[in-house]
Amino acid sequence: MAEGFRLRVCFHKIGRLRFLSHLETGRAWERAARRARLPYAVSQGFTPRMRLAFGPALPVGTAGEREYLDIALTRFVPVAEVEHALHAAIVPELGPVECRYVSPVEGSLASRLTIAVYEVEIEGGSPQQEIERSLVALMGTGRLEVEHKGKQKVFDLATALPKEPEVRSSEGRTVVRMWVRMGEQGSLRPEVFITAAVGTDRVASVTRTDLLIEDDQGWRRPL
Amino acid sequence: MANDLWPQVEKLLGRIERPSRYIDGEWGVLRRPDAAYRVALMYPDTYEVGMANQALQVLAARLATIEDVATERVFLPWVDMAGLMREEDVPLFTLESCMPVADVDLLGITLSNELTYSNVLEALDLARIPLRAADRRESHALVIGGGPSAHNPEPMAPFFDAILVGDGEDAVLEIVASHRASKARGASREETVRALASIEGVYVPSLYSPGADGRMAASAPAPARVRRRVLADLDAYPAPSCPVVPYADVVHDRATVEVLRGCSRGCRFCQAGMVYRPVRERPADSIVRDVVEGLACTGFEEVSLTSLSTADHSQLESVLRRLVGRLEGTGTAISVPSLRVDSFTVPLARLLGDGHKSGLTFAPEAGSQRLRDAINKNITEEEIVTAVDQAFTAGWRRVKLYFMIGLPTETDDDVRAIGALVSRVVSVAREATPKAERGGLRVAVSVSTFVPKAHTPFQWDGQLPFSDVRRRQEMLRDAMPRRGVELSFHDAESSLLEAVLARGGREVADGIEAAWRAGARFDAWSEQFSLTRWLEAFSSIGIDAGEAASRPYAQDEPLPWGHIDSGISEAFLHLERVRAEAATTTPDCTFEDCTGCGVCPGLGVDNVIAEGARRG
Ligand code: SF4
Repeated sequence: MAEGFRLRVCFHKIGRLRFLSHLETGRAWERAARRARLPYAVSQGFTPRMRLAFGPALPVGTAGEREYLDIALTRFVPVAEVEHALHAAIVPELGPVECRYVSPVEGSLASRLTIAVYEVEIEGGSPQQEIERSLVALMGTGRLEVEHKGKQKVFDLATALPKEPEVRSSEGRTVVRMWVRMGEQGSLRPEVFITAAVGTDRVASVTRTDLLIEDDQGWRRPL
Repeated sequence: MANDLWPQVEKLLGRIERPSRYIDGEWGVLRRPDAAYRVALMYPDTYEVGMANQALQVLAARLATIEDVATERVFLPWVDMAGLMREEDVPLFTLESCMPVADVDLLGITLSNELTYSNVLEALDLARIPLRAADRRESHALVIGGGPSAHNPEPMAPFFDAILVGDGEDAVLEIVASHRASKARGASREETVRALASIEGVYVPSLYSPGADGRMAASAPAPARVRRRVLADLDAYPAPSCPVVPYADVVHDRATVEVLRGCSRGCRFCQAGMVYRPVRERPADSIVRDVVEGLACTGFEEVSLTSLSTADHSQLESVLRRLVGRLEGTGTAISVPSLRVDSFTVPLARLLGDGHKSGLTFAPEAGSQRLRDAINKNITEEEIVTAVDQAFTAGWRRVKLYFMIGLPTETDDDVRAIGALVSRVVSVAREATPKAERGGLRVAVSVSTFVPKAHTPFQWDGQLPFSDVRRRQEMLRDAMPRRGVELSFHDAESSLLEAVLARGGREVADGIEAAWRAGARFDAWSEQFSLTRWLEAFSSIGIDAGEAASRPYAQDEPLPWGHIDSGISEAFLHLERVRAEAATTTPDCTFEDCTGCGVCPGLGVDNVIAEGARRG
């Protein structure tokens, strides 16, 4: 994606549409861009494709409040116009949150977004302090062994979770906010961590609320 | 919406494969929460298969024209989901409002092929609707079938309140109107279906029973023979311009525009080629308009110009030229289902933008000229070879050839001739390919087993006995060149079942129910299909399935579908069968004169050719 204009779209994936796979989400956005009649660029070759690039995949069933995609445009269209057209061309549960142009030479979303922020809602019952104690105790062990698809994997918790999880309680809901580092070796799934800390069948829902770039200046949003 | 099942459904979605099948919420969904009348349209297979069905999209668009009617989609949950639904006591639900299917007013079910029959029972059971029409009460949805397999409705007849034979565009509106009128006057279920029987094309199975002569006898007010419903002209019916756009990777994930209906080539094995007559082409302007509108509204990256024989459309080249011009630079592909070798030209294939990546598909069906003449395929070996030569010279490197074994009059020599023809195709393809590129050359050969179908010249023929099918498959394997050829056989076991279900009468219904009770469903999915289960089910009700598939019907014997009038005259079918024996061909009636099949005078219609003449 070097030439032309690179439009970055922040969108959400909420409600029922949290059950879409990464591939399905990609296809849905590609078709939305066509319906919105954006001046999208297509690749060369026998089967020209729209040039779209997404941030890290969201697991099926996890909602996302600020997901990202970059799309190459052949011509500049004012942001307000783009937003208007996209809103009219996609279902609300997958709608755009904000759009902005970014430098066409910037690194890809997938490589730059390395911190994911999650909110895990815990089924009612236990008081906030108890959950906090369980989380602190697990963090204190320093490592977590995880089995995924028959493979054993060990996470160093200080690396995998670069910030201590925070627990909030209000109106009978207990929510744990977690910052997860995504890397080549994959990332710790928040529900796996929570289950290890507080026991099985306690996770009511998982939402990825933010995706962040980590650089010399610290953490920041890609928009 | 009353009784919204979503909270229950949602709880299951984390525990199953591909949850997007069940979530609704796609682009293009039409919701009418306050509708006075609700129709559920079901394709009895998974979401991915069913969403590709064009007929359901057409019917949904037609029903949408009645303002206070809501149409909702239903597909059959995959085995993992069905298991959980039974465990957790969740009934079959519609996608749009997630309501129980049992609560709709009318449940329409596509009878698209025999291998989905067990799925229909599975769906009715999941929906908690009694399997048999006779056991349904006033409160149950009216269950109506329709689609290609409705041309022999008997094997599924007891499970339906009514079955539509033929084009549904107008009939579906009349069915809904009739049902609403019956409801308004508080009619019983029996009165309701009697009223439906007076709609042209509607077959009400409960009004027919076998007479003393073995033929189905109608009781009033049902007609003695149900005449296939047919639209005289398609142009008044635009293609649905804004169908639902799936998220999941469905079978044909693209926009579709039907360019013509019917085929007059007259292949003697082909049911569709008989029962969708006459040919009705849509004009180029309408096709271009519908493609452009459809793509704009859906955002699909591909559009398919569909029909039984798209290349026969009298204006196809000009349609393609116009579309290529309008879609340039948008990364949108145009495709057609398959090409006949005699309509293949390089410029035409180029317009389809196939590039050199994907292959071409041709269907010679038989290996010898004699057998191709017997089935009226009307293509010569030279035409096949020329098309392959042109394609490979122009840069194509892959071609797929379809053949059948077990065609009536076939001999061992005809089977060996398939091997010889493929050898010739391979050597022509090699010759036409530069040496350096020959490694990538592929000739895929796909061989299916002939299934005799109702309303065709071969309707009296039995299927080749199973052991002979196996023997000829082996013979073909030996006769086939190895290098550059990928040979695959369509499962002969499911073809046997198809034959039993396609040519049987009402007695077959008990076998279908027995097989479903024994666990049959998703028979079109090889990992779910078990022929043994079906054979046992049939033998439990006293039917020898092998015998039922291969037994020929005598000329004067009543046929199970005798009370369904497709418009094709029995005399014509018989004459065609005689000509097959003599390997005499019959020309296409859109190229030359009428060949007397009976459809046009019988149903009061005519071939509709967009530009006056077709190239023959
Ligand atoms: S009646 Fe004649 S013109 Fe009409 S479809 Fe049959 S053969 Fe063709």
